[in-house]
Amino acid sequence: MNQRKVGWTHRSLMLLLMIYLLLPLLGTFLYAFAKEWQTTVLPESWTLEWIREMFRDARFLDALWTSLYLCLISVALSLAVMLPAVFVITVYFPKWETFMKGLVVLPYAVPGVVAAVGLIRTYSSGFIDITGTAYILIGAYFIVILPYMYQGIRNSLLTVSAVELLNAAELLGASRMRAFVTIILPNIWPGVIISTLLSFSVLFGEFVLTNMLVGGHIQTIQVYLYQRVNESGHLASAIAIAYFVFILIVSTVLMKLGKKFNKVVGR
Amino acid sequence: MNASYLELQGIRKTFGDTIVLNDVDLTIREGELLTLLGPSGCGKSTLLRCIAGLTELDGGRILLGQKDIANLPPRNREIGMVFQSYALFPNLTVFENIEYGLKMRGVAKKERISRCEELIALVDLGDKRDAYPQNLSGGQQQRVALARSIAVKPKVLLLDEPLSALDAKIRKNLRSEIREIQKRFKMTTVFVTHDQEEALTLSDRICIMNNGQIVQDGTPESLYSTPRTEFVARFMGSYNVLSHMEATRLFGEGIGSAASFALRPESVRLLSVNKSTNEYDEIAAGKRIIEGTIDSVHVLGNVIRYVVETTGVRLTIDILNDGRSLRTDEQRVVRLALDPSQLLQLEKEGA
Repeated sequence: MNQRKVGWTHRSLMLLLMIYLLLPLLGTFLYAFAKEWQTTVLPESWTLEWIREMFRDARFLDALWTSLYLCLISVALSLAVMLPAVFVITVYFPKWETFMKGLVVLPYAVPGVVAAVGLIRTYSSGFIDITGTAYILIGAYFIVILPYMYQGIRNSLLTVSAVELLNAAELLGASRMRAFVTIILPNIWPGVIISTLLSFSVLFGEFVLTNMLVGGHIQTIQVYLYQRVNESGHLASAIAIAYFVFILIVSTVLMKLGKKFNKVVGR
Repeated sequence: MNASYLELQGIRKTFGDTIVLNDVDLTIREGELLTLLGPSGCGKSTLLRCIAGLTELDGGRILLGQKDIANLPPRNREIGMVFQSYALFPNLTVFENIEYGLKMRGVAKKERISRCEELIALVDLGDKRDAYPQNLSGGQQQRVALARSIAVKPKVLLLDEPLSALDAKIRKNLRSEIREIQKRFKMTTVFVTHDQEEALTLSDRICIMNNGQIVQDGTPESLYSTPRTEFVARFMGSYNVLSHMEATRLFGEGIGSAASFALRPESVRLLSVNKSTNEYDEIAAGKRIIEGTIDSVHVLGNVIRYVVETTGVRLTIDILNDGRSLRTDEQRVVRLALDPSQLLQLEKEGA
């Protein structure tokens, strides 16, 4: 009896939380399909006009594509650099961890606007003149997702007690590289996938840095969305919903891929 | 058999300012099971990790069959190790875990399979061969770890507190299994533990370590019966350690010049006050009779442990619980028969 009661409170709390989280999304969703929505609780009439208009605008698909490949490149670059780096630091130079922890929270400490101004000033002249190009954006993105990647990879390594596993593998005759590939990588992969996904979503929704660094030159989905908000609320809602669906699809695919990859390596 | 199969010479290791291993010399015979016994922080695990190559030495040599292996990476040392936390590979099945070392050494597939099957049968895990480590109990995991490390036929097997994470019953079973397997394959084995009972039942030879040094080594019998220092006496059992003054009060003059003495709790006999007949026998046997008061009584199972206060000294006395012994009340006066030949002189610490 008692247990059922607890389960019930639990469920209603979960439901409340879901409503709280999903209500804005639902509102946006309805607005994207509404034709007349002034004085009633629900829209008076429906239309697909906004969606159609959105897809008719070539800039939308362009922006979506730009966002996608910029984020993918940044995350892939981060993965390629951070995975070996964090592994080496955690396993062989644990003393450096304090330094890394400090370094990694810096992106939080510096507000986006400040970072953007600093980056523009630094890279608008001299040897590296890359302001307004995709390179500066990828560089900035790398820093933005640094905390997520570092923490995610490090925590996975600690959870599987990578040092012990590595020691055991080495004593059994494996070289360090081979031990890393056959033992460490398959075991930390699920955690790494999660941090990759998180980083990807964060970048996809990033606006301040992007707008300031390359706003006039490169249109990511967020920059495009910002421009269209002033034109029509309905259209902006449609874009937001499309963006949400897109993120959902990408996440699902990545998640599935991660599981599959994990199984292939594991067996 | 080789008299000095694995030889450690002047092993030194410091972490920062603390000396963890202070000039450790140790010789291990082929096929011998040697236990490193000591309290936590005495350096025994570090010594083991030095042999395995997981911790770098600050000085000294490690000779395995006449070859200095101190500068070889762990994978070339031909040393197997079982960790306290098992360190099984979670992404591999029991079979694949055991196979891993053979695979890394490039053993042909057919041979790998037959060797693995043999080992799985040895540790009695036939029905678990395709299970993943997280689905096994602690005892089963440790068996897999054991099988995995002996699969590659290492020259020396190192066991780092392999049983301390298991509960008492499984610990005892696995303990005798390890000993059996070790004897069957004549594996040269170094076993690390802080549990003196484990060390006594398992070992051919025990090295007691304290503060980064080996303070005494010998067979289990000799270590238990003749501890050389106070530390060993206290660590090996519930020895009564007496200062010179206390020993003189109990045994009279002429006991020797040592600063401290050890008295085995089971060497003292309890006599009830009024049975004077066997008291004469005891005196005739050269024993001293002393009166004391019982402070507390504990039944430990096959042994009853009395704490007796006599002439200002508290003595622990163990009597075999044979059903006839008196389950005496506390605060009762009893007579003790002390045997001077059982009193051991202890050396100064670090001598």
